[in-house]
Amino acid sequence: MNKLILYFVFSLIVFNVQAQNRFFTKDAKINFNSSTSVEDIVAESNQATTLIDIDKNEIAFSVLTTSFKFRRALMEEHFNENYMESVKFPKAKFNGKIISPIEWKSEKVVLVDVKGVLTMHGVSNEIILKAQIIPGKNKILAITEFKVIPEAFGISIPSAVRDKIAKEVTIKIDAAYTPYQP
Amino acid sequence: MQLTHLINHKTLNMTKRKTVQWLLWILLIGLIAAFSAIYFAFNMPRRNLANENSVYLLSAKQLISDFRNDETIATKKYLDKAITVTGEIKSIRNLDNHSIVFSLEDAMEGVSCTIDSADIVTYASKLVHYKTGSRGTFKGRCSGMLMDIQVINCVPVQGN
Repeated sequence: MNKLILYFVFSLIVFNVQAQNRFFTKDAKINFNSSTSVEDIVAESNQATTLIDIDKNEIAFSVLTTSFKFRRALMEEHFNENYMESVKFPKAKFNGKIISPIEWKSEKVVLVDVKGVLTMHGVSNEIILKAQIIPGKNKILAITEFKVIPEAFGISIPSAVRDKIAKEVTIKIDAAYTPYQP
Repeated sequence: MQLTHLINHKTLNMTKRKTVQWLLWILLIGLIAAFSAIYFAFNMPRRNLANENSVYLLSAKQLISDFRNDETIATKKYLDKAITVTGEIKSIRNLDNHSIVFSLEDAMEGVSCTIDSADIVTYASKLVHYKTGSRGTFKGRCSGMLMDIQVINCVPVQGN
C-alpha cells in the first residue's frame, strides 16, 4: 500500500515536471493581409491553438480556416469556398523547430529562426520564419511575421481578380503562452 | 392617297420610336438590377445565428464524442452548420478582441462557444446567468476541431 502511494506521488512529480516543459495557448491571434491598392483584404482569427516544447525547442500551431473574420461577409465566403476550400481542408498547421540558440530562463527578448512545415489547403511547404520570443517562467510571448504565396499552396486565384489580391500574403501571429496543464 | 401614305409613315415612325423607348427602359431596369445585385452581394449581411434554425440540436458530450470518433466525418457533418449545444460550463475566458469563450464539458478539450464582442451587449442580460459550473446552451456555427471543438458567432439560448 505504502509502495503504491509512493509510486503515485512519484508519478505526480514526474507529471508536473513534464507539464512545465510545455507552454500553450488556445487564443493566439493570427491575421493576414493581402491588400492591394484596389482592395483592402485583411482577416483575423483569435482562436489559434499553439504549443511550445521548451525541451525540444519545438513549436506547433494550428488554426481553423472558418474562424477568420473579414471586413465583408462576401470576402469570408470567397475565402472559405473558393480559395481555402474549408470543408475539404478545415485547418492550417505549422510544425517547426527553433534552429537558433535560445535560453528559456533568460527572460530577455530573442530573435530566432524557426524552420518547419506549413500545411494549408492540403499542401505542405517547408518554410523558415523569424520570430521574436520573450521567455518567462509562467508566460512566453511570441510574435512572428512572414509571407506566403497562395499559388505555392495550390490556391488558384482567377485572373479577373488576381490584381485585387496581393501576390504575397503577409501573415502575423501574436501568441501569449502559459504552462500547459492537461 | 398621299394623305394615307403620310399617316402610315407617321405611325411607322411612332412604333419605331416606341420600340426604342421600350428597349431603353428594359436596359435601364436591367442595369439597375445588375448594379443592385452586385451592391447587395458585396455588402451582404453576415450570418446572424439568432435568425437561423439549428440543423443539429445536441449535447456537448455528443458533439465531443462524434469528433473524437471520426474527425473527418464529424467535420463534414457539422462544419459551418448552425448547431445548438448544451453542456456544463467549465471555463469562461475573455479574449483580446473582447469576445467571450465559454468552454463546455472540458476547459481544454471540450466545446468552445464564442460570443462575438459585437453581440455581448445584446445578450448581456442572458449571459449573466452563464456561470462556471452551470449548464449553458448556445446556438452557433461549428468551425471544426483543434484541441477543442469550436462553435463561433454564438447566441446564448437559455441560462438555467
